[in-house]
Amino acid sequence: MSRALWITIGTTLGVGGAVFLGSRRASAASPATPGGAGSTPPGSDLDALPTAGDAAGDLVTNWGDTPVDLRPLFDKMQTVSRIAGSARIFAVIAFRESGFVTTAQNGNAEGEQDERDDSRAAYKNNKDRNPPLKYGEQAAEFGSGGLFGLLAPYFLWTGVPEVGKKAPLLQSPPELVFQPRVAAFAACVYLQRLLANYRIDDHADIKAGWASPSLLKSGRGKEQYNHVRARFFEDAINLGIDLLDTSTIPSKLSASAWPGVPAVWKALVGELPKEVA
Amino acid sequence: MMAMGIDCYGDDIPALADLAGDFDLRSPTDTRVFYTRAWESLAGLLGFSQPLAAEFTKLRGVVGWPGVANVAGVSAFAAWLRQQRPGVSDNQAAVQSAVLRQLITAGRDRSELWRVSADPTTLEGGACFEDGGGLARAFYPDTAPGYFGDGWSGPPPRAESRCGWQTPLVLHLGTFPWVYSSRIDITGPGLRWWSPNAAPAVDAFRVMASALEPQANLRQDARQVAAILHHFQKHTAPLVARLPLYRPGVAAVGQLHRRAGLLYVHQGSLHVAGLDGPRGRLPAVAYNHVIRRFADFFAVRRATVQALATWTPEMKRVAATSADPCLRAQAEGVTRAG
Repeated sequence: MSRALWITIGTTLGVGGAVFLGSRRASAASPATPGGAGSTPPGSDLDALPTAGDAAGDLVTNWGDTPVDLRPLFDKMQTVSRIAGSARIFAVIAFRESGFVTTAQNGNAEGEQDERDDSRAAYKNNKDRNPPLKYGEQAAEFGSGGLFGLLAPYFLWTGVPEVGKKAPLLQSPPELVFQPRVAAFAACVYLQRLLANYRIDDHADIKAGWASPSLLKSGRGKEQYNHVRARFFEDAINLGIDLLDTSTIPSKLSASAWPGVPAVWKALVGELPKEVA
Repeated sequence: MMAMGIDCYGDDIPALADLAGDFDLRSPTDTRVFYTRAWESLAGLLGFSQPLAAEFTKLRGVVGWPGVANVAGVSAFAAWLRQQRPGVSDNQAAVQSAVLRQLITAGRDRSELWRVSADPTTLEGGACFEDGGGLARAFYPDTAPGYFGDGWSGPPPRAESRCGWQTPLVLHLGTFPWVYSSRIDITGPGLRWWSPNAAPAVDAFRVMASALEPQANLRQDARQVAAILHHFQKHTAPLVARLPLYRPGVAAVGQLHRRAGLLYVHQGSLHVAGLDGPRGRLPAVAYNHVIRRFADFFAVRRATVQALATWTPEMKRVAATSADPCLRAQAEGVTRAG
C-alpha cells in the first residue's frame, strides 16, 4: 500500500489515531452530558436505538455482559455491513472505548490532553487533502468520543474515500458522535477499511488497527502493538465474549460483501436533521 | 359495599398499576394483550426476548391464558439462562436450590413469598456450602438498610452457624433477580444462581412470575408487597424527581430521563445508567424492573378481584379466609353483590 493511500485511510477511518490510553475506558465511563440542562447534543430526533424485535441475529449467545439494549445495535451493524461476526467484535471494542456509554468523551478532562492533541493534529495534518469540515475547528478541539471512541475529525470525514464530497458528516458538528447510530455507521466504515486494506491476522489485529493503523504496518510486533492486542483479549474475557466461538464469530472477518457507504448510512442513520446535515 | 379497588393498599396504588395496564381477566383478548405486553417487557429488560418470542409463537391459537403464557415465559427464561455463564459452583447451587425450596414452602404457607426470611441455621446445610475446603454462606447476608427495607439485624440464629451467619437470611423473590435490598448490582444477583447441574435461579424466577398468575397473586398478602413498595418509593422518589421529564425532540442524548413512570436513557443504554442515593447506587435497569414488578402485581390483583365472581370456589375461599382485611372485604363485597 502506498503512503498516500495509508494517509487517506488514516484520515478517514474515524478513530482515535495513534493514541494509547490505558485509562481510556475509565475516563470514557463518564458521560459528556451528566444531566446538565441545556446540554442537548445535536440530532435528538434521530431514530431510536434498534430493539430486539429489529434484530436479524442471535441476541442471546456469546454476548457476555454486553448491555441487552445495545445488542440490537451491534447486531444491526453486522447485518448492514455484511461483515459476519462483527457484532461481538464491536461490543468488545465499545467495552474498552466507552464502557458502553454513548456520550463518552475523551479529551475534556485534564488528563486527556493527549487525545485533544491528537484530534488537533488529525485536523491540521489532513484538512488540506480532505473536503472541508463545517465544524473543523471544533472537531480539532474535541478529542474523541462516542460508543467506539472515534477521533472527531476522522469521524466527520468518514466515507470520503468512497463518496468524496458526498460523505454524510462533512456539515455536522463533532458532538454527533454521541448519536449511537451515527457512531455505528462510522465504526462500520472503519472496520471495513481495516479488513479491506490491511493485513488482519486475527481479531486482536482489528483492535490494533482501531488504535492506530500504523500498528498494523511499522508497529506490527512492537510493544504497543502487543499491548493493545493483549488488552483486547483481556477485554473479551472480562466482557464474557468467547473470541474462539466460531458459531458466532468466524475465525477471520471479511468485508468482501460490503454494500458501500451509502447503503450502510441509509440503513443505520438515514436522514440527518436539517441543522446537522 | 366496600370499594373493590386496590386503593385499599394506598392511594397511589391504582396509578402504579396503570403503568402495567388495566384489563379484564374475563376477556380473552384483554388478557392476551396484557400478558403479552407484561412478558415482553420483562424479557426485554432481562434479555430473553428472543427465547420468549420463540415460545410465544407456539401459543398462537392456544387457549388457557394467562396460565400458558406464564409456562412459556418460565421456559423461555430457563432456556436463556442455560446460555449464560454459570455464576456459582455446583455445591453452592445445590444448597441454594434446597434452601429456596424450604423458603418457598414456608413463604407460601404464610402468604408472604415476595420477601422470605428465615433463620439460616434451620435451613438445609445451615445455608452453607463447601467452598475450597471451607464453608461459605450460600447467599449474601442482606441485612443492612437498603431500598426494600431498613434492615433485618435480628433475631440472630438460634444455633451457631458453621459458615458465619449472624443474621436472618432475607430474599426478595418478588423482585427477582434483584433479590437483595442492600446490594443492587447492574446485573441482578439472582441471575448468578445457576451452575451446570442446578438452576435455583429458575425456581426463584418462577416465584417472581407467579405474581402474574391470578390464583398465586391472590394468595400473596398484598400488604407485604405494598409495604416494600412504599419503602422503595420513599428512598427513590427524591432521586427520580431530580431527573428531567423526557420530551421527544429536545431530550439530551445519553441522559437519564423520567418517562411514563419509568426511567429512560435517550439514545443510550439503560444498563449503564443509575441513580446515586444515600442507600447506594441504584442501576436504572433495576429501578425499572422493580417498579414493573410492583405494577404488574397490583394490575393483576385488580383484575383478579374484579373477576372474583367468576373464579373457582378455591379462589373465593382464599380470599374469604385471607389475613388481609382488604381482600376479605373485597370478597364479601363480591358475595353480597353476587
